[in-house]
Amino acid sequence: MAGIQWETDFGAALEKAKQTGKPVFQDFWFDD
Amino acid sequence: MNTGPYSDEKVQRFLQERFIPVRSRCFWDNPTPLMQKYGIKWTPTFLVHDPGGNEHHRFVGYVPSDDLFAQLGLGIGKIFYDTDRMDEAIRQFQTVIDRHPDAGASPEAVFLKGVAEYKHTHDAKALRRAYDTLKAKYPQTEWARRADPYSAIPL
Repeated sequence: MAGIQWETDFGAALEKAKQTGKPVFQDFWFDD
Repeated sequence: MNTGPYSDEKVQRFLQERFIPVRSRCFWDNPTPLMQKYGIKWTPTFLVHDPGGNEHHRFVGYVPSDDLFAQLGLGIGKIFYDTDRMDEAIRQFQTVIDRHPDAGASPEAVFLKGVAEYKHTHDAKALRRAYDTLKAKYPQTEWARRADPYSAIPL
């Protein structure tokens, strides 16, 4: 497995979710 | 990007197959519109949305793999529960309970499974069984206390 293919655009993620019927897992993160 | 529980190949596969995973960066000195929309005050904060973008579950703070699996499963179950798909919700909560009995999210799954069964069957014994399970397996949790009124329901 080549890691998780993260979407970074929430709108694009929602569009993919609508197309696939999958739920969205959103990780709010902070890079210090 | 793939550190902590994300370095676990099972987590990677589960997230990729069952969800659309998205990461939203936070900036404390200049909060993003998404941070403001969802009231993000600490990281990591994790949200589970249905395909229409409605939030159904959130949790805050680092979680190891087993807890992450249980939280993700609970989130899927809550989507079913919140949209009145009780049969699917019951199966999903049971999966969390069976596969991750020691995870922090499992007591909530027991509680919600009992409520979903009651809503599905109108048999109050489901609530009593949830209370019995919580009292036996998770007696110190808030969910056991929340189920306390169900102790009066006869089996």
